[in-house]
Amino acid sequence: MNDDIRKIFSGKRKVGSKHVHSFGRRAILIFLPLAIFLLLGAHPVRGETLTADDILNKVDDLYRGTSSYGMMTMEVVTAHWKRTLSLEFWSKGKDKSLIRILSPLKEKGTATLRAGNEIWNYLPKVNRVIKLPSSMMSASWMGSHFTNDDLVKESRFADDYNCRITFQGPRKGENVIELSCIPRPDAPVVWGKVEIVVRQSDYLPIVINYYDEGLRPARSMTFSKFAKMSGRTLPAVLTLVPVDKPREKTVVVYDKITFDLSLNNEVFSIRNLQK
Amino acid sequence: MGLLRVSWRNLWRNRRRTAITMAAVALNAIILITTYSLMDGMLRQTVLNATELVTGEAQIHSPGYLSDRSIYKTLENPQAILQTLREQSISAAPRAYGYGLVSRGTKSAGALFWGVDPESEKATFKLPAHLAEGSFLSPNPQKGIVLGKKLARSLNARLGAEIVLLVQAADGSLGNELFTVTGILKSVGEGIDRNAAIIHLEDYRHLFVLPAGVHEIAVNTGGRVSLDKLSAILPRLVPDSEVKTWRQLLPALSDMLQLSGASMSLFGAIFFAAAGLGVMNTMLMTTYERSHEFGLLKALGTSPWRIVRDVAFEAWLMAAVSTVFAVILGVAATLALQEYGLDTSALAGETTIAGVVFDPVWRAALSIEAVAAPVVIMWIVCVLAALYPAAMSARLDPVKSMHRV
Amino acid sequence: MIFRVAWRSIWRNRRRTLITAASIALGLIIAIFFIAMAEGVYEQIVNDGVRMQAGHITLENPDYQMAPAIDLRIGDVENIRKYIKKIEAVEEAKLLIWGQGVANSGAGAVGVSIMGVEPAVEIKNSPLARDIVAGSYLAEDDDRKVVLGEHLAKELKIGLGNKIVITTNNARGELVEELCRVKGIFRTGSDEIDGYFIQIPLNFARKVFGLQADEATQLGVILKRPQDQPMVMEEIKSALANKNIEVLPWQQILPEVASYIRIDRVSNWVFQGLLFVIILFTILNTLLMSVMEREREFAVLLALGTPVRKLKGQLFLESVFIGCLGCFAGLTLGGLAAFVLQIRGLDLAFLMPEGVTISGFAMSTTVHALVTPPVFLWTGGIVLGAMLLLSLLIMRRIKKIGLAETLR
Repeated sequence: MNDDIRKIFSGKRKVGSKHVHSFGRRAILIFLPLAIFLLLGAHPVRGETLTADDILNKVDDLYRGTSSYGMMTMEVVTAHWKRTLSLEFWSKGKDKSLIRILSPLKEKGTATLRAGNEIWNYLPKVNRVIKLPSSMMSASWMGSHFTNDDLVKESRFADDYNCRITFQGPRKGENVIELSCIPRPDAPVVWGKVEIVVRQSDYLPIVINYYDEGLRPARSMTFSKFAKMSGRTLPAVLTLVPVDKPREKTVVVYDKITFDLSLNNEVFSIRNLQK
Repeated sequence: MGLLRVSWRNLWRNRRRTAITMAAVALNAIILITTYSLMDGMLRQTVLNATELVTGEAQIHSPGYLSDRSIYKTLENPQAILQTLREQSISAAPRAYGYGLVSRGTKSAGALFWGVDPESEKATFKLPAHLAEGSFLSPNPQKGIVLGKKLARSLNARLGAEIVLLVQAADGSLGNELFTVTGILKSVGEGIDRNAAIIHLEDYRHLFVLPAGVHEIAVNTGGRVSLDKLSAILPRLVPDSEVKTWRQLLPALSDMLQLSGASMSLFGAIFFAAAGLGVMNTMLMTTYERSHEFGLLKALGTSPWRIVRDVAFEAWLMAAVSTVFAVILGVAATLALQEYGLDTSALAGETTIAGVVFDPVWRAALSIEAVAAPVVIMWIVCVLAALYPAAMSARLDPVKSMHRV
Repeated sequence: MIFRVAWRSIWRNRRRTLITAASIALGLIIAIFFIAMAEGVYEQIVNDGVRMQAGHITLENPDYQMAPAIDLRIGDVENIRKYIKKIEAVEEAKLLIWGQGVANSGAGAVGVSIMGVEPAVEIKNSPLARDIVAGSYLAEDDDRKVVLGEHLAKELKIGLGNKIVITTNNARGELVEELCRVKGIFRTGSDEIDGYFIQIPLNFARKVFGLQADEATQLGVILKRPQDQPMVMEEIKSALANKNIEVLPWQQILPEVASYIRIDRVSNWVFQGLLFVIILFTILNTLLMSVMEREREFAVLLALGTPVRKLKGQLFLESVFIGCLGCFAGLTLGGLAAFVLQIRGLDLAFLMPEGVTISGFAMSTTVHALVTPPVFLWTGGIVLGAMLLLSLLIMRRIKKIGLAETLR
């Protein structure tokens, strides 16, 4: 919506300069009041007109579009080892995703396919596909601090939580909005509360804190290195830290990402998983 | 010496009576020796059953391992530890553990992997022979895997099936391999049936990227070394480790065996009482019959004290001779039972309860107590049983005694 | 005539008669008491086991026993249940939906056995419902509620009211995750039960596992009298002949319990047998001695012309009388003692301080005996029979009495 308004307002149309200008001037006359209204609406001074749910949806769809493709680097640091993986990923809609390891060489070709609630892993070394049983849902995904369950749940945030804005204002020199999300009564999540802190300016998340049922902090996801990628401004770096092991972390860096490309459903088939 | 000869002759004056009494004492003593040994044997066997399958009499771990089973908490120099134990003639098996996934076809399940040394396992435990199908791992690492009974079923895996293993290795990478099922275990216990996936230690090292160290050393002496002694020696032989006996590792079983032991002691006491009563009964009758004799002796001037003393000595002598026979025959019977045992498989069959395989063959276990206790009890009972009527007679009017029959 | 002689004769040497009879009685008292006590313990274990799980008789899918899986279920359960409850010997018929899964809390995940149960039926029958130590048991209209064991609660670091997410595969093989809250915590004393089983309402279980309204994994039949098991099984089997449902006795569902009982019973019998042998020796001894003692008496009788047969007959009768006296006393006193134990029970807590579990079932520390009429018959019978056999053996000695010598 913002793009359209900006386009209209700046009058950038490839129709011919004269045409453009006359159109642009008329546009200004006709749409100015509307524009001002919308502008005010679109960039609210206080942030109240953008509801908690709206913000939530923005965060939810952060790295998604109708589809996406990209490359990322994941670094996992634990008390005993440190690893860096180079990954390629595709996603379509809210419930299909495919992630493939590009490096290190030993694990190149290992891939995870998620469709709905099911997860399959492809292991190139033995050339087999395994479907993950329910008992492994809480196990770590690819050795990181994310669990297989996180992969399945990441698209359902809005379905599972009720959110409210609980704070707005400056924090550490930046204006932020804090959302407190409580799981819905029947939502199958173990968290007691999830706090999402976004930048007031562009609603991009800064940090997401997960609390257990006793409202003790369990883990924390921080977003940083905001950059423009494929037309959107996104935090390129995601850091997940477990509270009980503060020296461990999983860092995901988006190297490249493209949105809304056309992706065949074939991409998310088991056959493609094995490539 | 004179007393001995006189007493001996006295005993044999009424041959039949003495023979019957001696037979009573001897037979009762034989039964006591055999029963004691059988009961003892059964208890020991149950402990062995519990420990020699897989748990062992004691286990050694790196401190804190058992609370979280972290793959990083290892015993660093297993070879040295095994060597030290071998020098003490203590048989032990090293094991490394890790969690992961097993998958066959479309079915997969979580599993606890055991990296074992097949030769040590075979030498120390009965698990390698406790197979429903197939055979245990071969001495060389050949990517063979032995599955717990229920795990195999849930994967629908049979012998020779190909299993995909997927684990998170110690260096964080994803270990994955193809293994072949070489064996499927019989039922051991809920945990092992559902989760156990046993592979060669070298294969484990490769899969989990754990080049050195193990998580557990399980010790089994087959009852040779007492539990107390083990708890004392092991921590000394392996410093910086945590040693737990099977009683601490399997508390429910320990309780059950203690209950069995208590009820057996109760039975044992009843047996001794019954045998004692039987012998006492016989001695009482025998001695009462001799009241006539005592009366005569008293009339002839023998002091009551002398009478009682002589009777007591005779009673003891008779008991002693009887028990000599009893010991010879009792020990022979017990040794036979120890060797061959009582086969109750027709009645009960082989069964596994909570990880304990109950051997249907009951074996006796001969020990010093099994022989000493019955002998001593018989002596005491005989002497006491003879004393009472003798004392009674010795105090009575000789005329009355002589009329007694 | 011979009866009176025999009777009077045994009382002539009162001590010997009483000692012999007392030995017999003692042996019987011990045998009956211990056998009754053991049977009482077995019955309690079986009772607890079948009421907590799948009944004395279990109806399930034929393939279920081999490889339990949630998709192997039975249908039309309501009709079947209605039919079964009409059988007189049946006390209750309960439905179960049983599956495996993982219980997740904020602190961790544990593999669990999920039992979908009918709260109203369980409250009446299951020892688990009685062992609630915190909160309360499930109620008929509960939805997303669960009760779990104390051990499990500790492992997952949760308490009353906390959330658990159950992860499992439903009947179609799909991954499902459902939330529920802890309503009650139980402690049976068995680590296996307290750390592994969770119970949820049956309707919620249907939702979780994707079963239809008239389906379950098992139908458990609880009998009023365990002895009726074979008869009721036959009846149910014939009624369900055309359906794809297997009817199994509890001995196949809980084989470990059956094994334990078998082994324990056998060892009990062996020990009673050995004890009996000891007592037999005593009796043998007594009889021998009595015959020897009374040689004079017999010699006189024989010299007076009594036929040997009659003498033997008298002796035989004497043994019969003594045996009967002993048996009567033993059976009555033993039976009485066992009966008292049956009614009042004995608290063995001093022997088992932390409670004992037998193959996963916690035994209550109070034991009650179970007096079963057949026990009297065959223990009494064996004792009497042995007694008589012995006397027959001994009677052979009578022939050997040399009259002249004896009467000297």
